[in-house]
Amino acid sequence: MKLAGLKSVESAHEESIWAAAWAPAADHRPTALLLTGALDETVRAWIPDELTAAGPPAQAHALGVVSLAAHPAGALAAAVSLDSFIRVFDVDSGASVATLEAPPSEVWGVQFHPKGNALAAAGGGSGSVKLWDTEKWQPITSLTVPRPEGARPDKTGSGKFVLSVAWSPDGKLLACGSMDGTIAVYDAIRMKFLHHLEGHHMPVRSMVFSPVDPHVLFTACDDSHIHIYDAKEKGLIGAMSGHASWVLSIDASPDGMAVATGSSDRTVRLWDINMRTSVQTMSNHSDQVWAVAFRPPGGTGVRVGRLASVSDDKSISLYDYS
Amino acid sequence: MASVYIPVQGTEEEVRVALDQLPHDASDILDILKAEQAPLHLWLIIAREYFKQGRIEQFRQILEEGSGPEIDEYYADVKYERIAILNALGAFHTFLGKVERAPQKEAHFKDATQYYNRASRIDETEPSTWIGKGQLCVAKGELQMASDSFKIVLDEDRNNFPALLGQASVYFLMGEAEQQHKKSLEQYRNSLDLYKRALRVYSNCPAAVRLGIAFCRYKLGQVEKARQAFQRVIQLDPQNVDALVALAIMELQTNEAGGIRRGMEKMKRAFEIYPYCTLALNHLANHYFFTGQHFVVEQLTETALSSSNNGLLKSHAYYNLARSYHSKGDIETAGRYYMASVKEISKPQDFVLPYIGLGQIQLKFGDFKSSLASFEKVLEVHPENCESLKAIGHIHAKSGDTEKAKETFKKVTRIDPKDHQAFVELGELLVETDWAAAMEYLKTARNLLKKAGEDVPVELLNGIGLLHFEKGEFEMAEQSFKEALGNGLWVSIMDGKVGSSMVNLSVQYKEQSFFHQLEEEGVPLELHSNKVTALFNYARLLEELHDSVRANFFYRFIIFKYPDYVDAYLRLAAIAKQRNNVQLSIELIGDALKMDEKNPNALSMLGSLELQSDETWLTAKEHFRNAKEATKGDAYSLLQLGNWNYFAANRPEKKAPKFEATHREKAMELYQSQVLKKHRGNMFAANGIGILYAEKAKWDVAKEMFTQVHEAASGSIFVHMPDIWINLAHVYFAQGHFQQAVKMYQNCLRKFFYNTDATILLYLARTHYEAEQWQDCRKTLLRAIHLAPSNYLLRFNVGVSMQKFSASTLQKTKRTVEEVRATVTELQNAIRVFSLLSVASTYHSHGFDERKIETHVEYCKHLLNAAKVHRDAAEQAEQQNKQKMEVARQIALAEEARRRAEEQRKFQLERRRKEDELMQVKQQEEHFERVKEQWKTSNHASSKRKDRSKNEDEEGGSEKRRRKGNKRKDQKTKMSYGEEDEDEYRYEPEAEDDYANLSRENDADNSDKAPDHLLAAAGLEDSDAEDDMGHPQSVIEQKRRAWSESEDDEPLKRSAAQSSPGANDLSE
Repeated sequence: MKLAGLKSVESAHEESIWAAAWAPAADHRPTALLLTGALDETVRAWIPDELTAAGPPAQAHALGVVSLAAHPAGALAAAVSLDSFIRVFDVDSGASVATLEAPPSEVWGVQFHPKGNALAAAGGGSGSVKLWDTEKWQPITSLTVPRPEGARPDKTGSGKFVLSVAWSPDGKLLACGSMDGTIAVYDAIRMKFLHHLEGHHMPVRSMVFSPVDPHVLFTACDDSHIHIYDAKEKGLIGAMSGHASWVLSIDASPDGMAVATGSSDRTVRLWDINMRTSVQTMSNHSDQVWAVAFRPPGGTGVRVGRLASVSDDKSISLYDYS
Repeated sequence: MASVYIPVQGTEEEVRVALDQLPHDASDILDILKAEQAPLHLWLIIAREYFKQGRIEQFRQILEEGSGPEIDEYYADVKYERIAILNALGAFHTFLGKVERAPQKEAHFKDATQYYNRASRIDETEPSTWIGKGQLCVAKGELQMASDSFKIVLDEDRNNFPALLGQASVYFLMGEAEQQHKKSLEQYRNSLDLYKRALRVYSNCPAAVRLGIAFCRYKLGQVEKARQAFQRVIQLDPQNVDALVALAIMELQTNEAGGIRRGMEKMKRAFEIYPYCTLALNHLANHYFFTGQHFVVEQLTETALSSSNNGLLKSHAYYNLARSYHSKGDIETAGRYYMASVKEISKPQDFVLPYIGLGQIQLKFGDFKSSLASFEKVLEVHPENCESLKAIGHIHAKSGDTEKAKETFKKVTRIDPKDHQAFVELGELLVETDWAAAMEYLKTARNLLKKAGEDVPVELLNGIGLLHFEKGEFEMAEQSFKEALGNGLWVSIMDGKVGSSMVNLSVQYKEQSFFHQLEEEGVPLELHSNKVTALFNYARLLEELHDSVRANFFYRFIIFKYPDYVDAYLRLAAIAKQRNNVQLSIELIGDALKMDEKNPNALSMLGSLELQSDETWLTAKEHFRNAKEATKGDAYSLLQLGNWNYFAANRPEKKAPKFEATHREKAMELYQSQVLKKHRGNMFAANGIGILYAEKAKWDVAKEMFTQVHEAASGSIFVHMPDIWINLAHVYFAQGHFQQAVKMYQNCLRKFFYNTDATILLYLARTHYEAEQWQDCRKTLLRAIHLAPSNYLLRFNVGVSMQKFSASTLQKTKRTVEEVRATVTELQNAIRVFSLLSVASTYHSHGFDERKIETHVEYCKHLLNAAKVHRDAAEQAEQQNKQKMEVARQIALAEEARRRAEEQRKFQLERRRKEDELMQVKQQEEHFERVKEQWKTSNHASSKRKDRSKNEDEEGGSEKRRRKGNKRKDQKTKMSYGEEDEDEYRYEPEAEDDYANLSRENDADNSDKAPDHLLAAAGLEDSDAEDDMGHPQSVIEQKRRAWSESEDDEPLKRSAAQSSPGANDLSE
């Protein structure tokens, strides 16, 4: 279990890069593409392993891109900007497919359903998760995060502020993380709230389910810890520490053996899930690492693992994971 | 049994006196002796017999009667017997003098002297008298006189046996008394010669004579011969205790197991023969001390004490007793006996050991002065005794005399470069002052121990680990701690063998079922008490390495084994606090306080936690106060009280300016008089004072303060003080040095916060705003939003910055179409941001007035329309520009044509000049007129729109409105940033389409308000200072509060406004 640096692109964007996602290989395109979004209001696509630009940067992501998600079929992707629009576009042509918003709510993290039939978005101050269908791009529902029992009232007077979403690989569970550290878990079939997961008390900006165990959820939190929950049974089953500052992003390796995290401490760490320990630290970035993403399996070169990381230092790094 | 026969006077008869049946009353015999005028030698025989039988009184009675004046008169011619009686009495008193204590001692010696003098008067040449005198002198310790006496006898008869023995013993004693080794050897040799001569003279002499030879040989170092001599003594007299003891000692000195066993056997035999030999008793006691039979030791020494009057031997006995109690741990009794032992010795040279024991016990009782004196006594005898030197060094260290302590320990290391203890002590002494040297010493100690194959103590490894830790050498530190800890649960935790099955650990710290479960699984859960500190430090190290999960585990393990280890609770509380789990943190501190309700650290932490909450901030003061009392007012607790006062001054509850001023004064007093006076280098106090000056807008003083602290803080890797960066930046900002402020903020963010602090980003954005760097301002704010998504204030500000950017672009006299297009986009974004905020307010009380946002939206729309017009205009202008270029080209062409025409005309003129001058002139004028006409028309085509007039009335109007704005502000507590902007922009929609004018007003307004920001800036620092003292709080929360606080502070605002010309300059 290790990472080896393959390629780094300095000044890949004109400004801090805040989001990254892999558009999986598709019938029409044998390789996966890496999408990156930045404060410079563009989304760019890159062809691995050389990370050459797949096309001109897509403009108009006003105020900067904070989140990116790719449709599992590989053709579409969604980008969220600080102007609270979700722009769905064709990965290859860059053509706009739909522009979604859920006023009055702003939007933070987005994730496609593992089957691709729905898009979930963390609805920020609305304290809810918004869902759209991916056929006609019509809103399906809005899942509100209830206050946990006996929770102390927030001083700012705001309710829950939802930051991140994650689907379980079997599509049965949906989790959403919020500013105060609580994680709400929903039954994604019946669209029903199940319970809260507790243990964090600071913003949870990124979450991912284990690809091999659909109940296991990994969470990245500003408290610089990574928690491992049994999302179904409502239990904290492990915690890992090692980052010196906020953990901004987390992704699980396709083999389910490891997770990678990006942190504002400028490092990327690789964690052994079984040992519950950090096995490697990459220090090639010189500023906050806002996103890490393992390449999903599929397409040519399926057997080799790839991890990408993007940072405030405007660079993209690609690693071999083996 | 022998009898004596006393002749009956005047007859041939004799009275038979059986010597074993002497009457109890000596007077009976005396009567007979006197009545029958018995020869004096009979008196002597009877007296001696009494003496032999231990009937001392009768002995004395007879002899005293026998030396009375009647006898002198009656037996005047019997010289020898009279002398013998006197000498016997002299010898008797000499003996008594020897055994008795002063003052009887003196009296006996006096009596003895008188008897001998009387004997001398009868016949001064009688050798036995001289011998007696000599012995008296020996007893009195007047060796030279004794020697003289014996010499007189020996001069007469060089083979006089008793004189030989006497002189020999005198030489021997002289040898003992002699300080110089060489001379004393000579005396022993003399003594030996005399003993030998005595032996030759009288070969059947008692065994005791041979004892003398043996002792001399022993003293001369002829061990083998001495041994033979002792053995010979025992051959002759198997009951000779002295010889037995001497032989035993010699055996013991071989220091071999066999020797010691044989020695002890002899000692025991001596003891059986004569149970009151102090020397033997002492040796036996010594032996049993080492075999640990303390009861026997006590019995033996008690006997020894009661059977001897010899100071030295008694001292030994007391010493044995003391040592026995000492080793049993009864140090009080031990101390008393050491003291008794010391009292028996006149000078430490005789017997130095009890001083060591005494010193140790005095040290234990904390009586440093006496202890020091005792150890110095030891040094008088053994100036290089390392144990005593170390004890002395230790005492110096304890009494705070580090320099002397260092010197002493260094001396030890010079004497014995292998004394690891001394190196450890040196290292510990230097830990605080000289890192490198301390490390060197500790490492030397460790290496010494390792070389010697000994286990390195946990404490030493822990110390080395800590030094590495402090220096930031975490790997080395970890190695040391691991080495110190050895094997245990922690190893399995670090390997991940145990930790991976950790369930629910970080949620319920009190949950100990996990450990019980481990116990059941047979995982060893030992934690020896000497390892707790090392484990705690290891956990601290892990925290530093950001592995708080394992650190957490270690602390809980410590608590599991040692539930009263308060520091572990506090570290757990600190971790909880870092993770924003305030409730858990308070709970943990509560538990810590249950163990130790006066623990200042716990009190301080509790106080700073409470400071964060609106409900509890007042009670925080109580805890700070208690902490201050518990520490007797150390700098830290005083600082916290100062900070509390500063904090209280800025609380909205305490509106009254009087309270505010009191709190500020109190804070100043605490910082300046209480902390800084005592600790000149206290950066936090200096920082606090700087803030208070900054609040009063005394920028230069504040800056001086901050700059100094900044320099000091930058120089040390241990000081973690981001506030000073921020404060300095605030001052730069207040004085209008925006570039420096920006740099300072950025460095601070990067150096201390991994660029994650949204509040500092907000400061940075504000600086950019004031510096009119709209794009930088906007980007900084966007970054801040990204970090703090739920902070709607930031969104509002982004809207404002975009609006501002657009307005400023539009008011530029020169602008490209690109710029105008960007302006349009930016305005659209701004409208979106404001609109979102506006709708968001329906479910969020984020603190802004909806109307205010509406106004902004309105204004932006207004601007947008204008911008669109401008964009169209600009696009038109671009068109026009193209046309203009065309016109210009045409003009150039026309010019060229004209020039050519003119040349032609000139040529023609030249030709025609001579034809008709007058006519020519007229023609020329006409031509020029025509050309002028052409010029004018082309100029008009390219003219621009003219400048618009300025609306002068606007100035006065805005002033009023601003006042109104200020009043309104008082009702609000948060979002000061947005608020000001609101005021700024309120009238803008009313303004005419005159951007130049508008902007000037804006700036004027800004410059007046800049100090508000500044004040706020300074105000914020309060919370920072507290943070830095190891109690990270919700910085943002406090800052926000502080910000709004100073906002409300009208009078101060004014004064600040006057004293910041830098800001005013900007408007020009």
